[in-house]
Amino acid sequence: MNGLGDAGMRRRTMLAVFAASMLLSAAPVSAQDVSGDLVLLDWASGSEQEMIKALEDGFTKAYPNVHFKEINLTVQGDARGAIRAALQSGEKADLFINTWPAFRKELADAGLLRDLTSLWDSAKIGDNLSDSWKALGTTDGKLYGITYTYGDRSGMFYKTATMKKSGIDAQPKTWDEFVANFKKLNDAGITPIAIGAKYWSHAEWFESLYEHLNGVEKAADLAAHKIPWTDDSVKNTLRKFAEMLKAGCCGTAESMLANDWDTASDMVFVQGTAGYQIIGMWNNDRARNVDKLKEGEDYSLQQFPAMGAGHDDVSSVDSKEFSAFTDSANPAAADAFLAWVTTADAANIVARAGLASPSNKVDPSLYGPVMRIAAGAVSSSKVQFVLGDLLPGDLVDEYRVQLQKFLQDPSDATIDSVTQAIEAKAATFD
Amino acid sequence: MSEVALRGSEGSNSRVVGGAPQRTALRRWIADAPAAYLLLLPVLILFGFAVLYPLVQTIVLSLWDIKGLGKPKFIGLGNFVALVQDANFRQAATTTLLWTLCTTAISVGAGWGIALLCALAPRQTLVPRVIIFAAFGVSEAVIGYVWLQVYRGDTAGLLNAILSGAGLGNLAHAWLGDAKTAIWCLIAAYSWAQTGLPLLVIFAATQAISRNVLEAAYVDGATPMNMMRHIIAPLSMPGVRVALFINLLGSLRAFDTIYVLTGGGPVRSTETIGYFMFRESFTQFKLGYGAAATLILLAAVLIVSIPAILQRTKSTT
Repeated sequence: MNGLGDAGMRRRTMLAVFAASMLLSAAPVSAQDVSGDLVLLDWASGSEQEMIKALEDGFTKAYPNVHFKEINLTVQGDARGAIRAALQSGEKADLFINTWPAFRKELADAGLLRDLTSLWDSAKIGDNLSDSWKALGTTDGKLYGITYTYGDRSGMFYKTATMKKSGIDAQPKTWDEFVANFKKLNDAGITPIAIGAKYWSHAEWFESLYEHLNGVEKAADLAAHKIPWTDDSVKNTLRKFAEMLKAGCCGTAESMLANDWDTASDMVFVQGTAGYQIIGMWNNDRARNVDKLKEGEDYSLQQFPAMGAGHDDVSSVDSKEFSAFTDSANPAAADAFLAWVTTADAANIVARAGLASPSNKVDPSLYGPVMRIAAGAVSSSKVQFVLGDLLPGDLVDEYRVQLQKFLQDPSDATIDSVTQAIEAKAATFD
Repeated sequence: MSEVALRGSEGSNSRVVGGAPQRTALRRWIADAPAAYLLLLPVLILFGFAVLYPLVQTIVLSLWDIKGLGKPKFIGLGNFVALVQDANFRQAATTTLLWTLCTTAISVGAGWGIALLCALAPRQTLVPRVIIFAAFGVSEAVIGYVWLQVYRGDTAGLLNAILSGAGLGNLAHAWLGDAKTAIWCLIAAYSWAQTGLPLLVIFAATQAISRNVLEAAYVDGATPMNMMRHIIAPLSMPGVRVALFINLLGSLRAFDTIYVLTGGGPVRSTETIGYFMFRESFTQFKLGYGAAATLILLAAVLIVSIPAILQRTKSTT
């Protein structure tokens, strides 16, 4: 055999090896091929953390060679600080749970998040999640988050016994009916609305009011600071909020400022001393699994009342997603988990825990009555992500503190001063 | 005289050797220095790792503009200038002053008073002393959760229940949600927890008073009140000074109680510099800004500490 023949043989051999390797890489990765430790940076707590554990167990059942590990963060209030501290102090994880689009951008800009766009295609995640969920997890054109649950943040939780005690037989559909019920609730010794304003959850009412009065497009513009915080849309929303407060909706400013969302939840579900609460769908999980209430019987969810301003088809929403770090030690296992979490097995675990899954593979019969109301409301509404989670840096802190000031004194003068203060802070991010 | 004898006393040494005292001292220093520094080495290494390195890092950090996990930008003293202009920081400084003075005065005052009473009957007051001191040993966070139940805004709150029981139900309200009462509630909770140490230290000072002095006063016809006023109280002052110093430092750095009870609110009304530093550094993750606030707090701690350290140094030399 001459030299040319040897070279030709080598070339053919190399081509064969290349072709074989291409074939192998195109073949689906089996569960047996993925192994090793998979580390999750987890800041969930209570029953929601139990659901995360159930997801981990479900995944390791499907991928028995993967061993899940958790870095648990115990947090109070906004969890972003604890996550930043963990990352800055050198904690290494493959995945983490995120719920803030603004935080996703911060991490992506810092080069900490892995672009999952190619995974979406290669793992055929699009078969399980619609493109709208892909858009929700996308920042600057790149996919960084795979949504595993979402929530209706314009739904008002209430306990049926409390309504019965107050003589409210049917839930109000319009704003006027809703405000008229304040008297019935107050007369029964019940605070109509529980607002936990100690940290952040008082903003829920402002945000749903804003969207119902001004529409989701304007809310998006406000979040992006395309319109100033001194805009009439903001001031009119605060004036409407002030009307609620003056109508005796929420007890004293002191009681609101002394409570967080969880104590407000207890007022509605445990003590029955308050009528309604707007908060994320994790409250459904809490009512079922912590307070041991029967969904749809002991408590239910009422969508935000129609305000007649031409924007009643809107809903404030949130979502939680898994993201992957660029310095992940086990990207193969991370990718396997991100794809698995959209499957029927994972979606049904989420649904069984009382949370909504964005996967079209979820078994809807697993949803309880409350979750069906929430899922129906979100699917039939124009949605806007929670405003506070879209605000960058310490603007969100200023926004929440200024809203606390408004609760202390909901006068026109305060409305002017708090909107100016938020605008001044927002201007520093332009 | 032998070399050993010469080394025995510095005073006699210079007189005996006469013309060469400086040379001898230098020789002795050269002979002793390695051993002295070798003995100091572990402490110096520990001090370097635990104090100097973090301090230098904090100083370096304070010169940078760090927002979230973004790229840091060197701004020199910009953070300090911004702090001075920051209305929230100025409010935190005012709150810190009120907080520190009140909690120190109340905890040391209460501890001193109880210690003087206990000094009159040390054996009979053993159990109450242990109970009060035990509160000092409990974690501040746990104490925070205990007081959270005391200050609850509804009728299940202990304070509101007591007020209602006493016919003062109209005074019941959400104590921690009211900017006018929240800071005083925190001061009361923290002072309660911090009374144990002054009690212990001052009581120990009273027990060091010579029995002869007390017996002489008794023989001379001094009443218990006179003995308290003219002997026990004045001679307990060294203990009071130590307690003041320790509690002042503790109050300046206090964080846990505030974090658990109010989270710095409502509307930042209970935010001390320590809490401000935490919020800026770990909630907002403006690490440079938080580091600058830390250094200002450190300066305040040093200002408080230096007189006490100097006094201790003087009294031991």
